[in-house]
This record gives sequence, structure tokens and C-alpha cells, in this order.
Amino acid sequence: MDIYEILKNKGISIGDKIRVDSIEGILMPRTEFVENDVIVLKMNNGYNIGIKFRDDLKIELIEKKKEQKLEKQKHKEFDPSKPTVSILACGGTIASKVEYKTGAVFPSFSPEELIEAFPEIGEIANIKVRKLFDLFSEDMQPEHWKIIAQEVAKEIESGVDGVVLMHGTDTMHYTSAALSFMLQDLPVPVVLVGAQRSSDRGSSDNRVNLVSAILFAAKGEIAEVVVCMHESSNDDYCAVHRGTKVRKMHTSRRDAFKSINISPLARVNYFERRIEYLTANFKKRDKSRKLKLDTNINPNVGVFYFHPGSKPEFLREMSKFYEGIVIAATGLGHIGINPGNDKLAKNFLPVIKELIEKGIPIVFAPQTIYGRLNLNVYSTGRILEKAGVIGSLCDWTIETALVKLMFVLGHTKDMNEIKKMMLTNIAGEINERIEYEL
Amino acid sequence: MRELSMNYKELGLKVGLEIHFQLDVDKKLFCDCSSSMKEKEPIAIVKRKLHPVASELGEVDVAAQFEYLRNRTFFYEVFKNESCLVELDEEPPHNPNEEALKVALQIAKLFNCRIPEQIFVMRKTVIDGSNTSGFQRTMIIGFDGYFEFKGKKIPITQICLEEDAAAIDREENGNVYYKLNRLGIPLVEIDTGVIEGFEPKEIEEIAYQIFLIASSTRKIRKQIGAIRQDVNVSISGGERVEIKGVQKLSLISKVIEKEVERQLELIKKGEKVQKETRAAKEDGTTEFMRPLPGAERMYPETDIKPIKTEDILKNLEIPELLNKRIERYEKEYKLSKSLIESLLKTDYFFFFEDLARKFPKIEPTVIASVLSSTLKEIERKEKVEIKLKEERLIEFFDALNRGFVFKEAAYDILKKMNEGKSVEEAVKELGLIPLTKEEILKIIEETRKEVADKKKLIGVVLSKVRGRANISEVIKMIEKLS
Repeated sequence: MDIYEILKNKGISIGDKIRVDSIEGILMPRTEFVENDVIVLKMNNGYNIGIKFRDDLKIELIEKKKEQKLEKQKHKEFDPSKPTVSILACGGTIASKVEYKTGAVFPSFSPEELIEAFPEIGEIANIKVRKLFDLFSEDMQPEHWKIIAQEVAKEIESGVDGVVLMHGTDTMHYTSAALSFMLQDLPVPVVLVGAQRSSDRGSSDNRVNLVSAILFAAKGEIAEVVVCMHESSNDDYCAVHRGTKVRKMHTSRRDAFKSINISPLARVNYFERRIEYLTANFKKRDKSRKLKLDTNINPNVGVFYFHPGSKPEFLREMSKFYEGIVIAATGLGHIGINPGNDKLAKNFLPVIKELIEKGIPIVFAPQTIYGRLNLNVYSTGRILEKAGVIGSLCDWTIETALVKLMFVLGHTKDMNEIKKMMLTNIAGEINERIEYEL
Repeated sequence: MRELSMNYKELGLKVGLEIHFQLDVDKKLFCDCSSSMKEKEPIAIVKRKLHPVASELGEVDVAAQFEYLRNRTFFYEVFKNESCLVELDEEPPHNPNEEALKVALQIAKLFNCRIPEQIFVMRKTVIDGSNTSGFQRTMIIGFDGYFEFKGKKIPITQICLEEDAAAIDREENGNVYYKLNRLGIPLVEIDTGVIEGFEPKEIEEIAYQIFLIASSTRKIRKQIGAIRQDVNVSISGGERVEIKGVQKLSLISKVIEKEVERQLELIKKGEKVQKETRAAKEDGTTEFMRPLPGAERMYPETDIKPIKTEDILKNLEIPELLNKRIERYEKEYKLSKSLIESLLKTDYFFFFEDLARKFPKIEPTVIASVLSSTLKEIERKEKVEIKLKEERLIEFFDALNRGFVFKEAAYDILKKMNEGKSVEEAVKELGLIPLTKEEILKIIEETRKEVADKKKLIGVVLSKVRGRANISEVIKMIEKLS
């Protein structure tokens, strides 16, 4: 029995004002945690409570829900003295409104709503806003990256001074890596931005992040794909990270995004609206440069996470689903090959050789996240490299290695060519010098 | 001189009380941080801005909020063990503290409240910076309750369990400093309906009754600042004025009287009383804070699952009402009203009975006065903090019960024990090893040679054996000899 169905038959639906016994309130929608026989009521004092349905419960309709009219905001005039920034929304609600009456949270996507929520962005640039899709970060697929890259290219070709991508944070670093490979010779910055705290709360990091991202897109000198997010727990600076070197390093903190094995490229001072560059080693903004769009990728690449107890058979099984495999290897780049013929140890070498012979490239990336792989130091590494494993001397993240292998396999099936492309620095994914202070 | 003969009934005095109690539980409401507030120095300071949140059109003046917040930067002081990523708004809340939930439900039951079958945690928008998140998490635990006072039903409209806000440390040029250690401590708010037909003094008694009923759970903090009340006052021809932050229960009648006077004066002058929020000062007077806020801006806390109350209520023990216990203390243990009252001000009100039952040879009044006055006296005179845990006090009373120490030495021994000494060590250091019968007789005999008068003799002997013997037994011995 679903009490909400029974109520519906009585002409009562969500949002109506009702009386349950002596308690007045608005009938609220139910979440997945509330059972079928419970009525959720928003009382006049604003609190929600759950009342279990009984046959003797008196339920009356007091008032049907009133439709709210939304006022149209005035369109902001185009100001030719200001740069123009395109905002493309891919999901993640970086801006939203709360309807306290019902407790509902509505995402905002129109430029008017964004400027209403963040008046200061109108002072920085002329804003164009377009919604591409409304996806949770975890629902993003390699095919979506292609669409995003094509749409970004369209905006850049229309002559904007920068593009901002609003994106859910969980897989933002996969998207930023993919776009880094697909959008080559960028004339202007492409800035990915998100929020770690939902936009319905006064403490959300959305404002600092979005304002900084728009400022960087409009005026930043770095014509690369970058991620712009909180630098620390403070609401003062945002760090600008290279799209291929950034990783989400925390489940919940505002400063979850960190550059791995490299310094962030720049930081944005939110209070002073100022950009500070931390390196000179980047591609400079040049609107005359011709963008090269290359969306050829092969999404059939998977990651095998090596661990004590992991099974060579499973790696072999993976080759039925994937045309390339990234192995998250231990230490400097090791997986078990049991050179001492231990009774309990497992030997991955036969399956590695077998897969490479079948034309499935095996790429290593460090489980340790920080540091560079080096397959020359221990004999295990040397044997694996001889077997054809790719990745020695690379300092890429697992995610960037995965995306790069997809990109490379979108261009060639030849193992030598694959190896050559993988080891060529395409979009700053390999850093030759890891400095001490990092 | 204040008019003492004001007729509050004729003035149409209406009062509503909102009483907040911190719960005396170890952990915070939505994380596992300690709620002890012992740390003095912050280990870090985090800088934050809050932003206006747009809501349904026309309801909130976002522009005004924006201007207000643009000029304010909040600094949060982080304390070791007492604040984590949850207080910093860097991690979602954990499940609600089960103990706090149980205590709140007990309180709701004691006030005869209706308890929802499912409890929903809500976010109440707060933009003064006292919550890092920009909202306070709060939930209704019970509603439509009452309790009886002088034969009348006092309505309890709602009881909420919520997280306490961060306490403000200082404010300089729009930079507001908050301490994160108080943020998240479980707080119960008890709201009365309109109370009419009572004198301000009686309303203060009503507030005290609310405190007593809630205290029946043994889990209410009594320290200054752990109990705070807001008082809504109106009279005929006046307006509802909310007075925030009355720090002591004993200030309530004064605050009401002063507010009635203030409203009467305005009416006399022909001015209109404004609906507003005023802040209580220590002397019972008030100052303007802000216009009365509109309806609370609340929406659901989606990070926490709704709580089913059925199973918790099944196993919930309903504590004995404190009033019943007070009556029992009077009858069973022959404690005087004033002794009970001072015992109530300590953390040992319930502990008293455990001791009285465990140590039947000690006079209950002795236990009560050691707990309520000796310990306070040590604190005051020695300027120390009493750190004795319950098991150390049991150690002391056990020695008293065995005749190893005597009540006259309570002050000195407890002082030593508070410094970390055991009873035995304290007794040795103070030279208070109990005298044997023979030793006492010897002292009496020797003294008798010098003092002839019996009354004087008793006095001198007692001063010589003080803290080392049972006085009534010594007197009996002197009586027998002479």
C-alpha cells in the first residue's frame, strides 16, 4: 500500500496544504529512505516530520498548491569593452535556488540566473551560457568528452576569449585530461570548474571557484585546458591546474584538486581579482592560433589495480573487454613475477607477454600517485620492460594514462606506434623534472 | 524605586520561552569530536566567506544579504580533538549521535510530547557566520506537549535537537572570529506556547521547572553558557519582542519586568512598540539587535537519512522525574530544601543517592554537604579546579564509611586527593592517621591534668584529636571518665 497513491485518489498531491489529525502542513515528496506508509509533512514552523499512516488517521485537504510564477530577469547588455566568456554546463549544480516553502532545490542555468546569483561575474566579462547535459560526474562517458570537445571548439571558433566548463567534480580530472588531448593548439583558456559544497548553502565554494574560473578564462594568459578550484580550505585563492596533471585527492574538501608531480600553473586571488603565475612554462594565449580538434579516441581501455592476492587470470579475462590495459603498479612500477618460484606467489609475466603479443598494450602508472616510474632499478622492472610494458620514466597519474591510451588507440593499432605516441609528451602529461619542494 | 505592585494580569502579559540546554554527552551531534571544550589555544585558523542563497522570488532580499556579507569575512579557530573536517564544513555530517537522540527523546516523553514516527534533520539558514555551513542542522523530536504547573497546563509547542553554533570570539572591522569547539555540541531547544496569567517570578519558576524536568535525564549541562534562553514578551497595546541570550534562569523575571516597563513607557509616550529582537545584558536590561525575523528558512538536510523512532522508543527508559526525586531526598534522606538546592547546582545531584545507598553508615547530610559545599570551598579558597572523578569520590566516602578518615578532615583530605594523592597518602602527609582507643584515652588523661572544667576539657581534647577520631565517640569517652 502506498499512502501517496491513496492520497492522490483523494485529490491530494505533493505541495498541497493538508491537515493530518491536528497537524497542519505541506505534503512533501518522499525520498528513497522513507517507507510507503509514511506521510512526510512540512509543518508550519518549517520542520519536516514523518507520520505513519493508520486507518483512524484523519487527513483533510486545506488548500491546493499554488503555482509560482517566475519573474523573468532582464537581459544584460553586451559590453564591447569586456572580454566574452562562454560557460558550458555539463552537470553538477554550481548554481541553484532553494524554495524554502517546499525545500526543493532548483539548478540555475540561464545567464540571467547566474548573474543574479553571482553579480560580480557580469563585472568581469560578457557571459554566454549553454547547457550541454545535466550529468552526474560518474555518469560521464568517453563519448561525452567528444561532444564537450566539439562544443568547446564551436565556442572558440565563435571568437570568445575563454571557455568555462561547469562539471561535477568526481571525474573532472578525467575530462580535463581528455580535453587536453583533444583540443590541441588552443588559442584561449579552457577552464573546468566545479563545487565541493552544494550550491544551496551559504558556505558553498561555488562562488569563489566560478568567479575565479571566469576571471581566468577572460584574462588568464595560459591557453591550455586547466582546472580551477580552491587552493586551500580558505576562501581566498583558487589554484589553476594543468588538465593532464591534476587529480581529485580528497573525497570532500574544497581543496581536493591537486597538481601531481608539478606545481599548479597559477593562482587566482579571489579578493583582489588578480592572477599570479607560478611558472612560465605554458602555452600562451594567442587568439590568432588555429585550434586543432582531434576527437578520435577508443574508449575500450581498462584499469587493472594490482594488489596482493590479485589474479593473473582476471587480467587475462579483462582482455576480452578491452583493447588496452593500464596497470596500477606498485612502487617504481612492479607487479609480481615470482622470480624465486615461491609456492604462494603468483607470476603475471606469462599473461603480460601473452596480451602484448595479442596486440593489447600494457601501460603502467604508479599506485603511489606521487613520483615517477622507473623500470630499470629492480630486475622485476627490467624483465617487465623487456616484455613490452610501457611507462618507464613516466610520472603520469593512472587516470591520465588511461585517457591517453584511449586517445592513442583512437589513432593507431600498431604496437610500436602506440609505444612511441605514449612516450611522447602531447599535452604536458609527462613532467621531465620533478622539483624538490613538490 | 520600581513599582512592585504592577498588575501583570491586567497588563495582559504574555510570555513565550525558548530554553536551550547543552546535552552532557561525550561527542558532538554529527561527528565524533569531543564536546568537552577543554582546549584553550587554536591550532589553526580558516578564513571563509558566506554568500547569499537565492530562494523563491520576492521572499529574500538577496541584494541586501549580498551587501551585508560582502563586508564580512569569517575566521574559524580550530581546536585539537574538538573540531574536525565536519565542523569546518569540509566533510558531510556523520550519523546523529545516538545517545543525544535518546536523551532528547526522553525529554520529549517527559514533556508528554507527540513524537513523529520519522524524524527529519533540517537545514535552518543562518548567515551570521556562527555555522560554517551557512545553516544550522536541527530536527523536531517532539511537539504538542505540556507539563503541569500550579494546577495549570503549560503548553510545550516543540522540542528540537540541534547543533550548537560556534561561539563568537571577537570582531574587528568586519573580520569576525569564531571558535569551532562549541559548534556541533548537541543542544535541546524546548519551546513553550503562550504563557498567560502568571507573574514574572512565576514564569521564572516555570523555566526552572522545565530545567528540572529536562535534568531528570542526568544529561543536562549546568555550566554558564550551557543553558541559554530566549524570552518573548508582549503586553496589551505593545508588540511581541524577542529577547535573545538570557544566560541565567534567575534573570528571566527581571528581563520580563524590564521589558514590560520599557513597553509601558513607550506606550505612555504615545510611541509604537516595534516588533523586534533584543539582546539581553547581564543586568537584565536589553538592547536592540534587529527587526524580528520572518519565518525560518528551512529545507531538508539531504546528507542524513530520516530517523525511525519506533525502535528507539521501544527500548527507551523514561527516567524518574526530578521533582519526585527531590521529594524522596527530603523524605528518605532528610535533606533540607536548601541543601537539595545547592546539591542541584552541582554535577552530583544523582550521584548523591548512589553514595547514600552504598555507604549507609555515613549521615546522608554529610554526603550532601561534602558534595555541595566542601568541594566548592576547596575550589574557591585554593583557587583550583576540582578534577576528582566519581570513583575518587567513592574512594573518599569509602574511607569515611570505614572510619579511616573523619568528616572534620574532609576539606584537607579532598584537597590532597585533588592533587592526585590517594586517601592513604593524604592521611599520612596530613598526619591524620586514625587514633586508637588507647591513644585517645592517653590524650584525655594528659589534658585532664591541665584542664579541670569539663566543658573546656571537651573543647581542648576535640581540637587535639580533630580529624583523627570520631567526635561523638570521644565525647562519650570523656563523659564516661568523669
